Amino acid sequence: MNLLAISINHHTAPVTLREEVHLSTDEIKVYLDELKEKYFSEGFIISTCNRTELYGLPKDAGTSYMELENFLVEKKAITNLTDEHFQKFFSCSALNHLFKVIAGIDSMLIGDNQILGQVKESFQLAQEKQFAGFLVNRVFDSAIRVGKRAKTETTISDGAITVSYAAVQLIEKIFSNLSKKSALVIGMGETGKIAAQHLHDKHIGKLSITNRTIEKAEQIASAIDAQILPFERFKEHLADFDIIISATSSPNLILTKEEIKTMMKKRGNTATVLMDIALPRDIDPEARSIDNVFYNDIDSLNIIVEHNVKKRKDEIPKVQNIIMEELISFFGWYNSLEVAPTIKSLRDYYEEIRLAEVEGYKNKFSKEDQEKLELVTKRIINKLLHHPTTELRKVAEQGINTTESATKIALVRDLFGIENKSNTDV
Amino acid sequence: MKNAVDIANILLPIFYLASFAIYLYDFQKDERRLSNVKRLFLFLTLVFHTFYLIARTVAFNHPPITSVFEIFTVLAFSVSFSYFILELVTDIRGTGLFIIVISLIFQTISSVFIVDLFQVKEVLRSNLLGVHVLHALLGYAGITISAVYGFLYLMLYKDLKLNKFGLIFERLPNLEILEKLSFYSAIIGFILLSVAIGIGVIWLPKAFPDFSYLDPKLVATFLVWLLYGIGITAKISGRLQGKKVVVLSIIGFGLAIFSTIVTNFLAKSFHAFY
Repeated sequence: MNLLAISINHHTAPVTLREEVHLSTDEIKVYLDELKEKYFSEGFIISTCNRTELYGLPKDAGTSYMELENFLVEKKAITNLTDEHFQKFFSCSALNHLFKVIAGIDSMLIGDNQILGQVKESFQLAQEKQFAGFLVNRVFDSAIRVGKRAKTETTISDGAITVSYAAVQLIEKIFSNLSKKSALVIGMGETGKIAAQHLHDKHIGKLSITNRTIEKAEQIASAIDAQILPFERFKEHLADFDIIISATSSPNLILTKEEIKTMMKKRGNTATVLMDIALPRDIDPEARSIDNVFYNDIDSLNIIVEHNVKKRKDEIPKVQNIIMEELISFFGWYNSLEVAPTIKSLRDYYEEIRLAEVEGYKNKFSKEDQEKLELVTKRIINKLLHHPTTELRKVAEQGINTTESATKIALVRDLFGIENKSNTDV
Repeated sequence: MKNAVDIANILLPIFYLASFAIYLYDFQKDERRLSNVKRLFLFLTLVFHTFYLIARTVAFNHPPITSVFEIFTVLAFSVSFSYFILELVTDIRGTGLFIIVISLIFQTISSVFIVDLFQVKEVLRSNLLGVHVLHALLGYAGITISAVYGFLYLMLYKDLKLNKFGLIFERLPNLEILEKLSFYSAIIGFILLSVAIGIGVIWLPKAFPDFSYLDPKLVATFLVWLLYGIGITAKISGRLQGKKVVVLSIIGFGLAIFSTIVTNFLAKSFHAFY
């Protein structure tokens, strides 16, 4: 299979370059049209924050990686993008790469949960643009199966691997139902914002946020259904919260042990989670010694993250086995599309029918007539198969594994129901 | 029948040990394929134990509640049976080994020391005694499970406080669930103990001529009952929660075990079995 792919990704290029190459949905649609016109008979584009990749079946054998690289460079008008920033794949390695991407083992965050959906969207765009033909559709099916199997048959996506999500995972180890809990997020920098978003996604009962610049808090609050507390007065309300996450850039502590003690008294000493994900720390670490206070800082959350990353890495061989199985299955199917095995399978199929029928009726004939029966039925089969066999040989003369020949052969196999048999033969 | 009872008596600790081993292995490895296998094996163990209890009742012509070691085998069954129901209802599967180990201990002691009593006091054949003992044992199973969940709560609490994120952190349900499991088990245990005490107070004076309300077993049982009563009331009224509730449950369990040992082996009581 002459599937060609180029990829610029987090292994090969810094984030600034990846940002420049990144394609929006509208851009992808335009680029697909141009690829279709100039280079590929079928293809698709994947573009996420960590990778931009072009895949396709070249219209002619002369299409080179460099042409595709130049296509991207010229379209995006990026001057500092060189050949070294690209990975190049062909045939089996292209498919193997796509499977690794969709399974999440090529992601920056191993086991990334979003990549399966992102690749599916890429497939849908190609289908929308009628750029996904017979072969690419089969590639899609196999790739999506790999992605789903990796999720269900392994734990490659289990456990939090970011500090803010680890904080939420830890909170869930203390409280059983977040919809009955209240949380306060102090500081609306990037980390605080993500933590608040995670709590919102987990359907926290009541979410409040506070920030020195109230305008910034206002921008975020509506998106996550959060109440805003004025930064100067948030300490008056500390006792109302089961969970307090602090992520400010304050150089000094903003919550002391004494303040936490007072808060716990007001709360009747019920369990309270304090997550200090700021650097330098916002909450006095001595607060951890107070009964029913669960204090965690970046260091302790990083322990969870590192542990989960290691567990995900340990799952990679299992995912690779799935990829190998699906590659074998795909190429088993693909190789069955070659002419010679198809002619043989077709003849075997007819011969099986002929034999079964002859066996069933031969007792109704005399010994002499049985020989004639063999001869006549064989001649009928040969005549029936003469034209299809000649046509299939003509297909072979056009070149092995061209998209056109593969399509014709697949049609023959489908019509005569010989696909499964040949797959098991491979 | 006697031979079947003897063979089952030897096999039962092995069954519990095997169940414990599967739950332990699954706790360490968390293999998805084992999660139903272990439940099935515990079920088979309980079926086998049921057969043993019935066979014993038929073979000796009295229910197996006439000696401490007969009581132990019923207790082993009650604890695992209660856990099995709890696992089915809640689908919380990571705590089984901590409960089954209790059954394993009780059953092993029972299997080693149990004696075959063909002749028992007539009072031990009473139906009311059967109801009394059944409620008391299920009640004790309840407070045993409550204490185990309390103990697990404390282990997870400690790990969370010390930022230790090992197997305990990964496999156990969260603190609130452990507290709930401990509390609900204590409530069930308390209700069943209340029924057992109620029947005892009405029936015991009639059945035993040397009955005394100051009997050490009665006093100790009443103290355990009172402790659980106070704990449950305080928890429901919101005056006690979290760590303090589970600590109280563990103290109650310790007191119950202590009183059983003292009254059955050391003190003279009408309530001792032989």
